[in-house]
Amino acid sequence: MKTSIALKLLMPLVAIAMILAACATPTPVVQTVVVEKTVPVQQTVQVEKKVIETQIVEKVVQVTPTPGPNPEAVIQGVEQGCELNMWTFWLSPTFDDYIKSTIARFEETYPGVTVKWEDHQATFQDDLRNAFAAGNAPDVINLSVSEGWVSDYATKGLLLPLDDKVPQNVKDLYFPGLWKEQLVNGVNYQFPWYQGINVELVNKQLYDKTGLKIEDFPKTVDGLPGLCKTIKQKTGTLCDVRLTVNDLLAQMIYEGGAKVISDDGKTFTFDSPEAVAWLQMYVDMVKDGTLDKTVLVTDQDRVGLDLFTSGKAAFYQTGPNLIREVRANNPGLYGYLAAVPAPVGKSGVLGKGLMSLSVKNDTKCPNASIALAQFFTNPKNMLDFSKLVAVYPSTPASYDDPFFSAAPVAIEDSAKPIAKDIISKYADIVPTIPKKADVNQIVLDAVQQALFSNVPAQKALTDAVAKANALINQ
Amino acid sequence: MFKKRFLTPYLFLTPALIIIAIFIIYPIVAVIYYSFTDFSIVTPPEWVGLRNFQQLVNDPVFWQALLHSFIYLLVTPVLIILCIILAIIVNRKLPGIHIFRAIYYIPVISGSIAVGICWRLMFDTNGLLNSILLSLGIIVEPIQWLAEPAYTLPIAMLLTIWMGLGYYMMVFLAGLQNIPEELYDAALIDGCNNWQKHWHISVPGLRPQITFIVVISSLAAIEVFNEIYILYGPLGGVLNSGVTMVFYLWRQAFRLQHAGYASAVAIVLLVITLAFSIGNIRYLERGSEAA
Repeated sequence: MKTSIALKLLMPLVAIAMILAACATPTPVVQTVVVEKTVPVQQTVQVEKKVIETQIVEKVVQVTPTPGPNPEAVIQGVEQGCELNMWTFWLSPTFDDYIKSTIARFEETYPGVTVKWEDHQATFQDDLRNAFAAGNAPDVINLSVSEGWVSDYATKGLLLPLDDKVPQNVKDLYFPGLWKEQLVNGVNYQFPWYQGINVELVNKQLYDKTGLKIEDFPKTVDGLPGLCKTIKQKTGTLCDVRLTVNDLLAQMIYEGGAKVISDDGKTFTFDSPEAVAWLQMYVDMVKDGTLDKTVLVTDQDRVGLDLFTSGKAAFYQTGPNLIREVRANNPGLYGYLAAVPAPVGKSGVLGKGLMSLSVKNDTKCPNASIALAQFFTNPKNMLDFSKLVAVYPSTPASYDDPFFSAAPVAIEDSAKPIAKDIISKYADIVPTIPKKADVNQIVLDAVQQALFSNVPAQKALTDAVAKANALINQ
Repeated sequence: MFKKRFLTPYLFLTPALIIIAIFIIYPIVAVIYYSFTDFSIVTPPEWVGLRNFQQLVNDPVFWQALLHSFIYLLVTPVLIILCIILAIIVNRKLPGIHIFRAIYYIPVISGSIAVGICWRLMFDTNGLLNSILLSLGIIVEPIQWLAEPAYTLPIAMLLTIWMGLGYYMMVFLAGLQNIPEELYDAALIDGCNNWQKHWHISVPGLRPQITFIVVISSLAAIEVFNEIYILYGPLGGVLNSGVTMVFYLWRQAFRLQHAGYASAVAIVLLVITLAFSIGNIRYLERGSEAA
């Protein structure tokens, strides 16, 4: 009987103890656990009717949650329940695993936020403009800095200004020059993502026929006309050189050292002697017949890369990350590749950033979108990406990894040991250009008239300046 | 009872009318409205009256585009002549003629992007055409076909002709097979040679097909876009040498984001195509009545 009473007293006590134990904070387990998480993944499949369709399929991705407070969760006030759309530019299918696993880790880091990822390629710009017009643009967008896309969209008020929304300690994660690499009226609209180092890929089979030494490759842009003449004489091939037709004024500034607009931003000055000399250099090369004109005025980097990959060009300026295209499409050429530093223009600036992640201005989840853009560009994820392909982090901390101090083995890695030094010096020296797309079209018409229509470079640019000034003073 | 009978046809027409209203009437009305606005697609339209049309009149690239579109109309007579000749050839009862008919039709069902890539490779500086010309000694240096303004439109027109040949040939073939054989027999008895036989019987017999093809191929020519884009990319050839009306409209709307201005171009294009179609049909119908 006594036992029965004791049991009756003991049982509620045990139950209460169990409930309390269940509600208490669990003891942190300092151990990395691999869990499997099912994430929705967009996949393009060929269906029986021979129509390409986009499907949402369930895929199992391995996720390694970080124990304790997550050091990657640096953005506060992330909205709950958001489904973010993110568009990247030409990364699928090569980097599907990296992107998907990074998204899965992001969703672990910021619980309650999900990400739908799409990769767009040759039609990226058209798709994006249409998406903005239709009001369904993605929250986080991979924009090219080198092609001037960030400033294009930012000047139209389509991107979220980041300076006052990102904490200083987060801004400090990036190289200062890259954080400020494409300011619009002094405001930053992008998280610097993966960077490239422009190198000249050289086809040694062709180049050796010129009798020149690869180590004597021109150090400045001025040296290209002479080199192209020699290449044409000795090999019969044309130079694979491309104008940045979507952002000609930027190229004029970096290569020609020209000042293109007055300090108050109200008068264009791209008919200065420096600008004319820059254009004349290309005009002379076209007259000499040393350039492939199709490549010269294409807006697609791939056109120039394809010519080089086909083995019909002695050199081409691109990033080491695209050496993979040469290896994949012409393995025979891969063994004859050399990489030398790209010639520097009269500005003396080594270059500007390559890719960035921006947030659309009217996103319903600004903090979550900022968190996603920041997550992809944080030191850890940048380092992981660099280990997959020859791209370089925008975050100094990533370079502390032994990966960057290891001696290069493959040609793709040749720029690795000097990458930090080069990228830390990248700077955007292009001022804000009002009505940029229209002005660029005016400059493009002028440049083409000088190149292909025998209009003197000075006249072409002076006329263009008059048109551009009239346009911005309307 | 009367009311029910009165309403029934409209009831049957309603689904089609709704679709036409959404996909044809509304866009036309919207484009007319946008043509009087400053509209950049991503920002709301702002009324500017006739400014876009005034700007059009003074825009040299617009006139250049208009000229290119009219030059492009040359593909219509070439297509008709070539297709009639081809149709007459494949109309014979020869062994394996079905294979030839199928081969001629392949470009019609080929994807335009794939075709464009093939043509780019063919006309590339290091492409097939230059290789042949160099090996035959016709040229001593490769011609940069795709970067020469003089070749821009002719290459695109060749592509249009090549892609359209099979379809239009089939239309003419169907027409030829409807011409009674007795007419040809009578012509033979009268001493007609092959040329006279086709000139006096086949061609007049194909008048309905010619009317149809003149209208649709000239409309397609004046609205050409795909061929220019796939061959020359978003720049439309050097010095705007491949810029046609629709290409210019696309560039203004989607590259420069001047949707209002592009709408004004679209209105001009609409007026031209309407006038052109009505004129074409009336002219050919008059010819048909006279015959």
